[in-house]
Amino acid sequence: MNRIGRIPGFAATALVVAMAASGGSQAAVTDEDIINDQATTTDVVSNGMGLRGQRYSPLTKVNAETVQELRPVWAFSFGGEKQRGQESQPMVKDGVMYVTASYSRVFAIDVATGDELWEYNARLPDGIMPCCDVINRGVALYDDLVLFGTLDAKLVALNKDTGKVVWKKTVEDYKAGYSITAAPIVVNGKVITGVSGGEFGVVGKVEAYDAKTGDILWSRPTVEGHMGYVWKDGEKAEAGISGGQPGQTWPGDMWKSGGAATWLGGTYDPDTNLLFFGTGNPAPWNSHMRPGDNLFSSSRLAINPDNGEIVWHFQTTPHDGWDFDGVNELISFDYQDGGNTVKAAATADRNGFFYVLNRENGDFIRGFPFVDKITWAKGLDDKGRPILIEEGRPGNPADVAEGSKGESVFSAPSFLGGKNWMPMAYSQDTGLFYVPSNEWAMDIWNESVSYKKGAAYLGAGFTIKPLNEEYIGVLRAIDPKTGEEVWRYQNYAPLWGGVLTTAGGLVFMGNPEGYLMAFDAKSGEMKYKFNTGSGIVGSPITWEQDGEQYVSVVSGWGGAVPLWGGEVAKRVKHLNQGGTVWTFKLPQSAEVASR
Amino acid sequence: MWRNRLRRCALSAAGLLGACLLALPAQARYYDDVIDSGYIRIGLYRDFPPYSWLENGEPRGIDVEIGKRIAAGLGVLFEPHWITPDENLEDDLRNNVWKGHYLDKDDTRPLAPKQLADIMMRVPYDREYAYMRDSTGEIVNEQVVMFGAYQRERWQVAYNGERLDSVATLAVFQYHPIGVEIDSLPDFYLTSAFQGRMREHTRHYSNVREAFAAMRKGEVDAVMGMRAEIDWLVESAADGRIRLGDNGFPMMGKQEWDLGMAVKQTYRQLGYAVEAVVDDLIRSGQMEKLYANYGLRYELPGLYQEVAEGY
Repeated sequence: MNRIGRIPGFAATALVVAMAASGGSQAAVTDEDIINDQATTTDVVSNGMGLRGQRYSPLTKVNAETVQELRPVWAFSFGGEKQRGQESQPMVKDGVMYVTASYSRVFAIDVATGDELWEYNARLPDGIMPCCDVINRGVALYDDLVLFGTLDAKLVALNKDTGKVVWKKTVEDYKAGYSITAAPIVVNGKVITGVSGGEFGVVGKVEAYDAKTGDILWSRPTVEGHMGYVWKDGEKAEAGISGGQPGQTWPGDMWKSGGAATWLGGTYDPDTNLLFFGTGNPAPWNSHMRPGDNLFSSSRLAINPDNGEIVWHFQTTPHDGWDFDGVNELISFDYQDGGNTVKAAATADRNGFFYVLNRENGDFIRGFPFVDKITWAKGLDDKGRPILIEEGRPGNPADVAEGSKGESVFSAPSFLGGKNWMPMAYSQDTGLFYVPSNEWAMDIWNESVSYKKGAAYLGAGFTIKPLNEEYIGVLRAIDPKTGEEVWRYQNYAPLWGGVLTTAGGLVFMGNPEGYLMAFDAKSGEMKYKFNTGSGIVGSPITWEQDGEQYVSVVSGWGGAVPLWGGEVAKRVKHLNQGGTVWTFKLPQSAEVASR
Repeated sequence: MWRNRLRRCALSAAGLLGACLLALPAQARYYDDVIDSGYIRIGLYRDFPPYSWLENGEPRGIDVEIGKRIAAGLGVLFEPHWITPDENLEDDLRNNVWKGHYLDKDDTRPLAPKQLADIMMRVPYDREYAYMRDSTGEIVNEQVVMFGAYQRERWQVAYNGERLDSVATLAVFQYHPIGVEIDSLPDFYLTSAFQGRMREHTRHYSNVREAFAAMRKGEVDAVMGMRAEIDWLVESAADGRIRLGDNGFPMMGKQEWDLGMAVKQTYRQLGYAVEAVVDDLIRSGQMEKLYANYGLRYELPGLYQEVAEGY
């Protein structure tokens, strides 16, 4: 059916190849570069601007005083009549930016000029039905390779100078409903990825491959009962069943198709040598079919990167019935408590609660609501388990009589969550998390009239409602030690892009209205905004090149928000699509002038 | 992610916007264009026996047979349009009848029309569904016309006679394993009805064929699926152990439903011409023979049953 994509590497013209070849001084990306990414300000070689995912830069040239002088230096269009949501975080190494676009595309751009060096379009198979729009969230870099996942669930390694395929591995079968949209993570020479999937009975997993060769090293399913594997010298060996044995927290054979997709990738903490991956909601969506906690759905998993072992888990929504995926990023950070350093990690969940965990063992330290309204739980107990309000659970499909709607349940947050995929940031200076959140609720009911593939079916009806006339999106500065909201910025449309904070005392984020905005990290005062021409759902980055500080963000409205109707659609229907990388810098002259 | 919910809203959002429709000319066509071109594209679910599938490169199945007769009735060639099912019917109608799939793009010809079916088969004929409204009051499927009911479908249990003496009620599945297609109504029903008493014995497979094969291997003692699928599998297997259940499905929302076709709402004239051909197949008794050739029971859609009963 589709004929998209062209021959890989086709775009690399002879001229570009010659240019790339002449730039032979460029160094390969090493494990050390990646581990030190946060501290080395001249490049961005990890998703999250450091493997812990803090999205914090020590750069200070752009600050509350100078940010007014930030200038756009170039804008690069992805073109191609393929304008869907652009949720990518760019990477920068040796003056070259590597950025992904919708429909599994990768571009290499010369930062000095904005010129395209090469472009790779994945050739996607016919009849593909990817879950969750056609977005991509970014690449990983390692050695001379640019690594990324495709909508047909392949992991692809491209040569960084030519864009030509070096290796390509099938992570899962797209025909079974799998795809990949998250950026992979590289830890100690291993490229590690999760999988995305719909409601077709997929099972989540995390897998590690040798970054240089693409050889698989380990595979860890994220649903209780499935066997994990390790590979040694090409030999596959059993490495223990996730959770020990099947059937402990699932009825019947439902663990075989339990969902828990690892669709947002993960972070890594070198102190504990642990990967942190989140898992999606359990399948099927209706909780009445699967009584039990349904491990390890809607959880955060700490995984040993050497062998894929699950070291600890923390489930944010046991027996989920609201589509509260537990995929949101877990960010490692340290804080002082009575003279002791606490090795903590924090996450803001779809379910509306913010959690602070001990990252060494997964113990719950504290948790609190970060959104204004939560209807499904009264709070968290001393282990961090939600105290449920049973009337808040969507109804049993068995109770729906023919020709009638099931009882409607009003639920907040909506199934898109108090916070969705868009990554928050943590400032080492203010000690605050900057959380992009949304205030919305849903009505949800079982729909008696529904069909699937020629058969009667039982769908769910829903409508999403803003909780306030004036705003849906709220960027919040949250103190992880107290739960206090230090400041907030309210946005009319829902927020769907990532956050960046800097030692310059700034917080950057984009909004669907198209503005790249910078706020004072302490007060929340808006210090700068620039309209990029289409909605921003990507994550900004900053780095330093030739003595000047740069900021980049991808602009291009899309992702999940424009896919639904109801009251929310009215707030975003006028937004135009796009697909452009905007790059700004603070010119040296402006930096001096402001002193 | 609850994808089905997201996608449903894609329809209503598009309905509000209207913009999606203007982006590219879609390739479903007017009656005159179909006749002039000399072919009609018939939308068929991929790999879905006994309704439609490819066997040694040749299209086979009930819907293929009906499609060929529609083409012959209009005096044009039959051309299959294979549909990869999405999560629900609204998605399939959008992807294949009125708008096209967002992945159906050609880099070298960005303005090329999308691949659409002129007529889509096996679309439920259900007034309540056709006029269903979303939360803002928009008709969800306003872009298509659903017409031409040609068959009534029901649920059916088949069981292994060596394991079960009979299936008079579903109560036996508190003790005997039964296979279902994952994320189907039988799946919902067996795992959530009757306080979940059959839940522990419900086994999930990616389609009814796999569930049936598992029954023949002894993994499960029964399967539940659509009657035509079960009839076809029983007929093809010619396995003396397999019997059909006599049970009802108490408390089940949708026990029977009619199947017809869909056409984009701007091409109603084509729908009328196709409906006339199909109506003749039903009234002349040819339709029942087509089903019998595949070993399937045929049940008239509700409208025809009422006529036959003299209402």
